[in-house]
Amino acid sequence: MIDPDRRDGTTPPRRGPDQPPETTGRYVVVFAQEVPDLATVLRSAGMTEVVTAREAREAGDALGADALVFPTLHVAVVSGDANRMAALRTPSEGPNTVLSVSPELVHHIRPDVPADYVTGYRDGVVDLSERLLARPAPGAEPGQPAPPPPYYRDDDKFTWGLNAVQASTSPYSGKGVRVAVLDTGFDLQHPDFAGRTVSSQSFIPGETAQDGHGHGTHCVGTSCGPRTPAEGRGYGVAHEAEIYAGKVLSNEGSGTDAQVLAGIEWALENKCAVISMSLGSDEPQVSPAYTVVGQRALEQGALIVAAAGNNASRVQGEVGFVGVPANSPYIMATGALTQQLDIAFFSARSLPVRGGHVDLAAPGWQVYSSWPMPERHNTISGTSMATPHVAGVAALWAEATGFRGRDLWSVLAQESYRLLAPSADVGSGLPLAPQ
Amino acid sequence: MNTQTAHITVVVDAAHRPAIDALTHRLRAEGMQVEQVLRRLGTVTGTIPEDRLPALERIEGVASVERERRYRLPPPDEPVQ
Repeated sequence: MIDPDRRDGTTPPRRGPDQPPETTGRYVVVFAQEVPDLATVLRSAGMTEVVTAREAREAGDALGADALVFPTLHVAVVSGDANRMAALRTPSEGPNTVLSVSPELVHHIRPDVPADYVTGYRDGVVDLSERLLARPAPGAEPGQPAPPPPYYRDDDKFTWGLNAVQASTSPYSGKGVRVAVLDTGFDLQHPDFAGRTVSSQSFIPGETAQDGHGHGTHCVGTSCGPRTPAEGRGYGVAHEAEIYAGKVLSNEGSGTDAQVLAGIEWALENKCAVISMSLGSDEPQVSPAYTVVGQRALEQGALIVAAAGNNASRVQGEVGFVGVPANSPYIMATGALTQQLDIAFFSARSLPVRGGHVDLAAPGWQVYSSWPMPERHNTISGTSMATPHVAGVAALWAEATGFRGRDLWSVLAQESYRLLAPSADVGSGLPLAPQ
Repeated sequence: MNTQTAHITVVVDAAHRPAIDALTHRLRAEGMQVEQVLRRLGTVTGTIPEDRLPALERIEGVASVERERRYRLPPPDEPVQ
């Protein structure tokens, strides 16, 4: 077996996971942005030789300096012992100017050893599997969400989906954020929405925005429905968002591009931050129109979230593909997860072209939400149900951060919980609500 | 002569969006029956005889022309939506 240590005499010994990282003895000090002059702070902590990165470059080296300052980063690498570091961390007078002090690490190009990579990957998967399967630890930290259960379930208080995206513990509600749901309309008389701000508009000639199918009401419910309804469990992520229900699909569940585009335009006119579209066409080509439309929506502060598609049949070996409009590079494609955070059997896999990736995945199996009266509630599955979970979480992040458009896309992807399922199926994973 | 009619979505490029009305006028001149102009999105939808389609794509300011698609949901009692 090839031993990389013997390949090159200067290669440092490989460090296993139990060995401490290699350090230089110096410290990386991060200063607060408000500190005007790092050199002064460092000199008053006892450092005499203080050079800036530029001076060191011009002189050729900085190895003799007590401190090497990176003024733009507001960071310095300093020599010193524990006492000097303590003096920096907590000065005897004046405000605390230091955000962190950590040992300077030595980094190496990773050796080209496939076996190590694979065993490390295996160990990572085993570790994550064990954590996901572990019983919840008693006494979770206050303010932190409880560790994930072995699988999610509806309970008396919340749907499993609300628990999975951590909306049930979020202090945010989507208040002040406008969410458009472009679908079959909405049951405008639904009792669970009494007192909510609801705007509606039909783009279907001959039909009102009143939902004659159910799909639209269900999606409005998941994205914006109540957390504590009069009857039954809470099922809405952004439970105080302003609802814009655009009917772009008829009571028979059918609509055209012209109607969908009109709905998007209406959402932009009304400054909606999030547009939820649980609709799609099984075409394996990216639509130039929705590419441009998605981009223009982002530029105008609206994030469009669409269903990846239900054209998979995974038990039979069919993985499906993301269709139009979700396969636009500027529209978020949403896959569907089961209560075990596995990919649902029908949830479409990424189309291997630019834009065709699944971006996120959310609860899309046995989702309980509102339904037109008299049924009041219904439980159905689909990437259509996953999409409004993402839209609702996006609304919470929009409220929490003030972000819109591309920034909102960014924070959603960043704050997603990485899953064991492949990213071709789940993208960045399960978006979690701000806590 | 029985010519097929295509339902289409025309996307106007960024440079021509501020003058979308002028472009719409040109689309009509090329035979398009314009039904809807959306200014924030920069799109024009409507119908046109099939044989006039190639001419549309050549108009300066037209970023793309595509056939309209129809979306269909399963019936309300389907378990997977």
